[in-house]
Amino acid sequence: MADEDRDHSDLSVTRRAFLKGGALATGALSSTLIPTPADAQLPVATESDPRRSVVEMTVNGVAYRKEVPNRTTLLQFLREHLTLTGAKMGCDRAQCGACTVVVNGRNVYSCTTLAVEATGAEVLTIEGLAKGDALHPIQQAFIQHSGFQCGFCTSGQIMTTKAFLDRVPRPTEDEARRAMSGNLCRCAAYKRILESVMTASRLMQA
Amino acid sequence: MAQQQNTTRTLRVIGGDGPVIDAVERVTGQAKYTGDLELPGMLVARVLRSPHAHARIAGIDTSRAEALPGVKAVVTHKDAAKVPIWGNRQRALNEQVRFAGEAVAAIAAVDEETAAKALPLIDVKYEVLPFVLDPEKALEPGAPQLFADGNLEGQPRVLIRGDVERGLAECDRVIERVYHTPTMWSGSMEPRAAIAQWEGNKLTVWASTQAPCRVQTNLTGQFNLPDSQVRVIASYVGGGFGTKSAAHVDETIAALLSRKARRPVKLQYSREEEILDSNTRFETRVYVKVGVKRDMTLHAMDVKAYINQGAYHVRLGGLGNQATHIYRIPHLRTVQYRVHTNVPNTGPTRGVGDPQETFAIDSALDEMAVEMGWDPVEFRLKNVKRNGDPIARGGSGAEDGRLVAQVTDRCLEEGAARIDWSRRSTLPGGGQTGPRARGLGVAVTERGNGGGLAGASVTVNLDGSVVVFYASTDIGTGSRTTLSMIAAETLGVPLASVRAVAGDTEVAPYDGGSYGNRTLYSTGRAVEAAARDCLDDILATAAPMLKASPAEVELGDAVVRVKADASRSLPLRDVMQRRGRSVVGDGSVTQSQAETNVERAAGAHFVEVEVDRETGKIRILRYVSAHDVGQPINVTVVENQIEGGTIQGLALTQAEELRFDARDGRCLNASFLDLKPPTMLDFDARRIEPIVIANIGEQGPYGAKGLGENPCHAGMAAVANAVYNAVGIRLRRVPFTRAEVLRALAEQRPASSRTA
Repeated sequence: MADEDRDHSDLSVTRRAFLKGGALATGALSSTLIPTPADAQLPVATESDPRRSVVEMTVNGVAYRKEVPNRTTLLQFLREHLTLTGAKMGCDRAQCGACTVVVNGRNVYSCTTLAVEATGAEVLTIEGLAKGDALHPIQQAFIQHSGFQCGFCTSGQIMTTKAFLDRVPRPTEDEARRAMSGNLCRCAAYKRILESVMTASRLMQA
Repeated sequence: MAQQQNTTRTLRVIGGDGPVIDAVERVTGQAKYTGDLELPGMLVARVLRSPHAHARIAGIDTSRAEALPGVKAVVTHKDAAKVPIWGNRQRALNEQVRFAGEAVAAIAAVDEETAAKALPLIDVKYEVLPFVLDPEKALEPGAPQLFADGNLEGQPRVLIRGDVERGLAECDRVIERVYHTPTMWSGSMEPRAAIAQWEGNKLTVWASTQAPCRVQTNLTGQFNLPDSQVRVIASYVGGGFGTKSAAHVDETIAALLSRKARRPVKLQYSREEEILDSNTRFETRVYVKVGVKRDMTLHAMDVKAYINQGAYHVRLGGLGNQATHIYRIPHLRTVQYRVHTNVPNTGPTRGVGDPQETFAIDSALDEMAVEMGWDPVEFRLKNVKRNGDPIARGGSGAEDGRLVAQVTDRCLEEGAARIDWSRRSTLPGGGQTGPRARGLGVAVTERGNGGGLAGASVTVNLDGSVVVFYASTDIGTGSRTTLSMIAAETLGVPLASVRAVAGDTEVAPYDGGSYGNRTLYSTGRAVEAAARDCLDDILATAAPMLKASPAEVELGDAVVRVKADASRSLPLRDVMQRRGRSVVGDGSVTQSQAETNVERAAGAHFVEVEVDRETGKIRILRYVSAHDVGQPINVTVVENQIEGGTIQGLALTQAEELRFDARDGRCLNASFLDLKPPTMLDFDARRIEPIVIANIGEQGPYGAKGLGENPCHAGMAAVANAVYNAVGIRLRRVPFTRAEVLRALAEQRPASSRTA
């Protein structure tokens, strides 16, 4: 999806008209470290546009700099701008946890975090957890215990686990249950999710 | 018959355990669900929904919306074919809207913000009509009418056996009760999503559906196309639970927009839309008369049920008449009124009407046991059907079939032993003093297995690797794994060499879909047949290479050998390379009610609860779910299904009721915050103990039975019965909120103490 299409705002008509006027060649100001075909259509800088901001953040170890509408959520930023679709939109209201990612070591609902709020942050998503083909111990544990069925909530479950175990490396089961209670699993694989968290804790100690 | 061959061979793959074969994709974010897909030039769709529970669209002007830059297409009822959605009375977009939240128009635009901005620019003139939400009131004279032929769907569904009036008169004791379940949310974590793309006259739709072929059939009807011109793909599906088991309006709306805009269109429902415009679990009001003889036999049952079908209902629903399959009842009558009202769509949801029916029937039986001073387990064991008993094959009352491979009794016995049923107090409360009291409850469940037309194909490649193609889906039930295991077992190759392609109508033969305990049971039979077809071909190819006849060779561990002389063998890979052509096997099976032998899958649930008399809280201390699963294909998958389904059944006891404003008919709680599906803290899942009863069946692949639905059935009845045993209050309406428990406890106290 072209950013020109996605980043529509009140002023975008003007922007498009401007583009049509042949200003494409100057469209490199809103740069990004990972070029995508979509970026070819990025408009010129709109520093004067108060509805847009430049966000810079590190996602899975890669630094990004992108100009986005202020209203862009972190979830939209990850899914639509960086095509990292592991985090899911389950409710868009911070009520299910399918969108959970780790921001500066904390698990957050990316659907109700603005991308601009994450400026300067270190963001970790499910895509950044494994090291090459080597799965992270949490992922190994979720496989070992079959801590999922349909898998739609799983990225969020795993990212909550990551932030939790980094914070509390040897939790009790009750601590783990409380920590995981912000992530709904409609298939209700809860027993297995809990087992996965506890096993992951042991694997991460090893 | 395949079954006989199976029993002579040791199983190598089937019966194992361990993770599903696509586990890595699911824990790394690589599994792509419909909403994750992007196509070049794709537009984003949004739907305008009716604020009125019942209205006629007197006029609709889309010109202002269409004029907004970035809007590429707007569709209304004028654009939709005058063809109902498959299995439904609803069209994709209707001139008369029948629930608050029904689609009125849709917009495709370059991005979500533009689409959202354009929605209010559509001018709709509604002629607001009176509405009705209550199914019994909807049948009264003068009630608002949803359809020209009235609110009653067809004729009342009647099932009669024996003479119920005479039967009741012959009973020593008859009780009469009413049980109520409300309209309930039953959706999944992944909201509905559909992407439509036209290439000339060829339509491709990626959909979050359980039944790609049903969606395909619907789209061929909507756009007057042959099957060959419509492809539906559902690769990864984020849960379904029945709500995605048929075609729905979203796929057609996406296709209408895409055709008009000449670009691909993605329509993703918000959570609120998913709650309002998917299928909800239908409300039931069940009037039960049960009669017994003094010798503990169940003699007569008279059931009258009102099914609130909402505005539209996918296929014909209602109670499944489970009681007639579970219990021997000489005199029986059930009458079901399926009524349209202005609550949102209903449709099949996990167990369809079985959880609601189990709540009514198994609560009533518990009440009878209490009245008569009988042990509830003993009472059930006395009356449950046993192997060889007559059973109805079809929807009529006639018991023209014979029940086989039935183990309801064993489920009851093993479950009772596990929870130590003998310690149950026969008196409510059992003399427990203090604010908290414990009690035990039981409920029995069962369901049929699959059915209808199932298809699959299997390809053995030149290197000996295997691909299974099937057009039902893996909605989280592990079917990619279990169907691959069936192919591996049948062919004689390791599971690691098999891959399954799920949910693509273009590459696999017709298959009804993944619902009603049927993917493993029915599609699994088709996979077995397709794999056997391949095996025959491979053995015929390999036999001359080994200077033997096809009957003299066998395939095992991916090696073809001469049975009598294992030294004469060829790896499958070599056979395939020398053959120089892939092997393609086809399997299509139709399981119908023509079979005289009827096999069903039984279950019994036992629960120990603790009721807090001061707060009204019901705590689950232990929950034992004993299920006949036939031959378990993958034990881990089986246990995961039982555990998850049990919690979904428990969820019905505490939350998930959809509430409606009596003034305007709008839903009051269309969000996760207000519906409260259970989190990890709401039920302690560690307290759920599955008992897997491996009771080899006759008609499923390798004797497997369906399981997806059953674990969700018995929670409401089992908990209600346990609460009675704990504190002596009878809960006849779900959900069992704390307020409801406290109200019942207050009523239980003598009037003098209440006023004191």
